[in-house]
Amino acid sequence: MSKTTEVEKDKKRSIPASAPLMAFFVGLFIYFSVASEYFFDIENFRNIAVALAVTGIVCIPGTLLMIAGQVDLSVGSAAAVSGMIMANMVNKHSIAVGLAVALVFGLTLGIINGFLVTVVGVNSLITTLGGLATLYGIALLIGNGQTVMMRNFEWLGTSQPWGVPLPVLIFTVIAIMGAVSLRKSTYGRSLYAIGSNPNAARVVGIRSNRLLFITFVLSSVGAALAGAVLCSQLSAADPNAARGLELEVITAIVLGGASLAGGRGSMFGTILGLCTIGILNNGLILLDVPTFWQRVAQGLMLIIAVSFDSLRQKLNNQRS
Amino acid sequence: MNVDLAHLKDIRKSFNGVEVLHGVDLTLAPGEVLALLGENGAGKSTLVKILAGDIPPTSGSITIADTELARLDVYQARQLGVRMIFQELNDAPSLSVAENIFLGQWPGSKGFVAWGDMREKAREILKRLEVDIDVDAQAGSLRVGERQILEIARALTQNAKILVLDEPTAALSNAEVERLFIVMDQLKKQGVGMIYITHRLDEVSRVADRVQVLRDGNSVLTVDAKGAQREVLVTAMLGHEALKNARPAAVTTSGNGLEIKNFSSGDDFNDVSMTINAGEVVCLFGKIGSGSSEVLESIYGLRPVTGGSVHIFGKEFKPKSPQESSSSGIGYLPADRQRLGSFASRSVAENLAVASWKAMSRLGFVDAGNEVKAFSRWSDALKISARRGPTQEIATLSGGNQQKVLLGRWFEAKVQVLLLVEPTRGVDVGARRDIYDIIRRQAKESGMAVLVATSDYEEVVLLADRALVMSRGKIVSEFTGNSVDANSLISAAS
Repeated sequence: MSKTTEVEKDKKRSIPASAPLMAFFVGLFIYFSVASEYFFDIENFRNIAVALAVTGIVCIPGTLLMIAGQVDLSVGSAAAVSGMIMANMVNKHSIAVGLAVALVFGLTLGIINGFLVTVVGVNSLITTLGGLATLYGIALLIGNGQTVMMRNFEWLGTSQPWGVPLPVLIFTVIAIMGAVSLRKSTYGRSLYAIGSNPNAARVVGIRSNRLLFITFVLSSVGAALAGAVLCSQLSAADPNAARGLELEVITAIVLGGASLAGGRGSMFGTILGLCTIGILNNGLILLDVPTFWQRVAQGLMLIIAVSFDSLRQKLNNQRS
Repeated sequence: MNVDLAHLKDIRKSFNGVEVLHGVDLTLAPGEVLALLGENGAGKSTLVKILAGDIPPTSGSITIADTELARLDVYQARQLGVRMIFQELNDAPSLSVAENIFLGQWPGSKGFVAWGDMREKAREILKRLEVDIDVDAQAGSLRVGERQILEIARALTQNAKILVLDEPTAALSNAEVERLFIVMDQLKKQGVGMIYITHRLDEVSRVADRVQVLRDGNSVLTVDAKGAQREVLVTAMLGHEALKNARPAAVTTSGNGLEIKNFSSGDDFNDVSMTINAGEVVCLFGKIGSGSSEVLESIYGLRPVTGGSVHIFGKEFKPKSPQESSSSGIGYLPADRQRLGSFASRSVAENLAVASWKAMSRLGFVDAGNEVKAFSRWSDALKISARRGPTQEIATLSGGNQQKVLLGRWFEAKVQVLLLVEPTRGVDVGARRDIYDIIRRQAKESGMAVLVATSDYEEVVLLADRALVMSRGKIVSEFTGNSVDANSLISAAS
């Protein structure tokens, strides 16, 4: 009897990882609801969701990678290349061919990234930083630096089955799949183990390289899909449209409590981080704050959130 | 007047409202070695951290070199000559030996390092310690024992007056331990006061002048080291009388479990043959570098095999990779728990279940309930005390409890062969007994073959059904039953 109460008391005492972000999110939400008459509105929420869906699709595999202690910086440029491929293929052939080629591109890129990191042994930060530069150049080359217009391919980005925008639906499905496999599957648990201690993971018999390889492939395929959705939303492929996507993705994931060193993080956290960025951008626009401030606010938020997390961990460590 | 180097008086310390030190006194005279004993959680680390200015006491006074200090911070403590040597290495593995010895305080002027000068001084110090280490070698390429010596060398260059050694011998070979003691004798002559934290009681009378025992945050015994009775110390540490340091009851086992023949790996060991019965616990005793832990690494597929064969319960097994081995029913507990064993940021339940996920899952999905069930199944049997239950992060447990979780990992995976390297390194006395009992009981119940590589002869006496002694990469002798005793083991291994 006394033992159980002691356990419960201890449970209450440790602060959950997402608590500070949750508090911040709720505070921000209430503030914008009061400060702007347009904010608390179903149509506005739909806009926020659509604006987040593209980033979100990339965030899900991104979280898997980050938990395993890896990072993929090439997602923004990969999305740009995917969009350029889409636009050209759709204009010359058909939507189906375009989508297929874009996804094959994602698959190929993922295999290259995975091969370089797990077989050759290049650090993932360097591998994908190189990818970021190379692919951005390729995106510019494909369209000769120009935006490529595209016709009759709005449905992927703009249709609304059952009143829900399709990109949001795609994101939701991917997010659920990601969350379930992270929490429940041996694959997801192994990613946590690899991120927490790669050496121990090897010793205990986890096939680390194979799982990391798969995760890099997922990340690139996610980026290619996001690129396709983005260019469908714009009815055009712009080599610059997805610039900085990788930073937004990392911001959301780290805001959500994932550690850059790996071993920590959750899908719920990432989605909460994503939503925080979403309402912040949206709220600032509604309050007529110049858009440049969005960048400043996002950067500051990241620093503050990570500081809070470090303080929380210090507190928890002192208590044990 | 003989002034104490350090005097801690009525030190109390609370974490989060829980008092962990209940008014402890500690004095240290120049040239004195004070052995600080106590089980994990007794408050030893907290006490020495207070002395080093790492954490402030809740109340009490600190006097160092005749100055009473209301607040002591790390910088001040260093200025006053307090230096800590930890069990974990605090070096820069990619830098040279000389650079490591002078880490952060490289000799030179105007921001430039005087390389020749530094190497010369480093050579001098190492000579004084009677160690033969190349000052240009990369620190990371040295053995753990040698790197430990570098840390002591560094403290020496920084004019240490009070040296706190927190279990420095846990990873050292017997020769290196003796070398360390010789160094400590020299430091004594120079008037350096040392606080020596250890779990090895046999070291106390060799090296210490006085012994102080902490238990549950109280100082329970302070006596002269010479003539301090081992039983008295153990009783003070545990709060009750210890079990007799006796051999475990003999058990007859039969049936070949693990059989290796003419097993070799390069220069590390060669022509090693042995057969371990199902349910038998065999200790492979040898100093660090004798090849004993390397044999286990090779069986598990962590080190290349250059010859010989392995059979597991009659079936031939070719070591390839840890993945192959663990899926073929072999478990491996590494000596370096932090680096190779535990997933620090994950829960105890996950750490315990990680090797059994395949068995626990259906279509690739693990039921978290099964993990918790596995944990509660073993937490009682292994006496794991995790206050916050299955979700507590493993890093917050004591060394002994962490080790029990890692043992439970392979028990839960129902391995047929269990390979353990230094299974009680950094584990306190009480938990050590538990761990021996657990290993023996589990071996008998499940019929697995257990091979233990260890450099601790006491461990062999308490744990093994049979002992094999290794020296220079070869098995040199074998002891069974009551012929397993400390003296014969030590003389066979040297």
